[in-house]
Amino acid sequence: MRSRGYGLPAAALLCWAAGAWAGASYRAPFPPPSEMRAPLDGAGGDMLALALGARRAFADLWFVRLLQYYGRREVSEVSDQPGHETHRHRVDEHGHVHCDHGANYGKGDYPRFLPMARHVLEVDPSFTAACLYGAGSLAFNMERPAEAEELLNYGLKYSPKEWKYLTVLAAIGYSKAQDPAAVAEAIKPLLREPDCPVMLKQLAAFLNKRAGNYAAAAAIYADILATSRDEFYLRNAERELRKLARGPGARP
Amino acid sequence: MRKYAALVWSVALNSFLEGARSRFFTMFAVFAFTAVYASVLAGVMAVDQEERLLGDFGLLLTELTTLAYLLFNASSSLLREAETKTIYLVFSRPVPRWAYLAGKLAGALLTGAMMLLLMGAIHLSLLYFRGFGLPPFYGWALAGIFLKLCVIVSFAFFVSLFSTSAVSTLVISAIMWTLGHFAAEARFLAEEAAGFKGLLLGLLINLVPNLQLFNARDAAGAAAALPASVLLPAAAWTLACYLAGLWLLSRKEF
Repeated sequence: MRSRGYGLPAAALLCWAAGAWAGASYRAPFPPPSEMRAPLDGAGGDMLALALGARRAFADLWFVRLLQYYGRREVSEVSDQPGHETHRHRVDEHGHVHCDHGANYGKGDYPRFLPMARHVLEVDPSFTAACLYGAGSLAFNMERPAEAEELLNYGLKYSPKEWKYLTVLAAIGYSKAQDPAAVAEAIKPLLREPDCPVMLKQLAAFLNKRAGNYAAAAAIYADILATSRDEFYLRNAERELRKLARGPGARP
Repeated sequence: MRKYAALVWSVALNSFLEGARSRFFTMFAVFAFTAVYASVLAGVMAVDQEERLLGDFGLLLTELTTLAYLLFNASSSLLREAETKTIYLVFSRPVPRWAYLAGKLAGALLTGAMMLLLMGAIHLSLLYFRGFGLPPFYGWALAGIFLKLCVIVSFAFFVSLFSTSAVSTLVISAIMWTLGHFAAEARFLAEEAAGFKGLLLGLLINLVPNLQLFNARDAAGAAAALPASVLLPAAAWTLACYLAGLWLLSRKEF
């Protein structure tokens, strides 16, 4: 076939136009670029995320960075006693040493936590686990419920039917009303979900234990042991299960 | 018709075997395996999100490696055959140019499909060894990657027919691939821009294939399943590049 005419290029143009027309109605399920507030050190990564069509992978990286940031202790909490290396012991006014096994774990200021958590959602708004983790940490560990609500509301903007966000919003409401039993009850449906952050499970177990629901607490700790890969939560769950097996109120 | 189908198939099979036997193919496969395996490290850092991270990175690396190999293959294949004079041998037989180009494209896509399946199997076995199951969107993600490859590989064949070197074909195709992922953002900017600028940008967007349409890998959480309607733009853009390439090929003196 020796075509000197313009039939082939005309057909090619027509086909290209048909493709453009067929794809014209597509709207991306992602936030527009104007909503991305990338920190300066992450702008290059965000460009790559868009250029490679790899929002999910780069949101994962941002989430790892968030974990690393939050995992860095703002105050030194270490003990040299075996089994207590990860936390500091409290000394009361009588000079007695008390171990609460890192009950203050996760507390601190972490001023970049909200922007970083929000950025994960700006890159991939469908990352439900990151939103739940961020909101749970802000509301229940750092006691910044307003920021947690801001994060959840941003998540809801792109996933308006996400009941898990609404559940955590309700739990935050109960938490503000100083009703721990209601918080535990509110987050109960979340615990069965595969993307429920272990931090929320830990909170539910702790609240159940405090409310005297030892069986429920033990079940949640057992679930943490079976599903989590986080060393801190695994060790804590083991210890709590041993304590619960010895009987409620047993000292460590 | 059957005779022509047999011709296209012979060229495609030849192109596929040539690709699969190439040492570059082995090199890319080894690189992909290493990269996918290395993503285990990143997965461990994500603690309870390891499954998601391993899935996402494995698919991304699978796509990038397959894309790199196919672009390399598409940009050098016709040039090499012209330089080694193999193409004269083909055209001295009753092989129409359209069948030759269709066979070359089909062979490259067959190689791509095999690479995707091979790397997908490696990736899934890695997930299995880490104690995870098949991600629910996996099949759609691979299908989306393949549709993207169809468009961009046919584009690379078209570019290779007028560019002066394999490197320039590679670069132009890679730029098109990048722009294709920016299509949704560019459309947003066009809608935001008022007047002539918006109109111009809106027209220019149509010159770039919107690869986000097929990006099920990225939209896994939002809308994993690819609607049947995406087949039309994929076929239209692939065919457009094929026809444009055929026009260029038909004007060449062999």
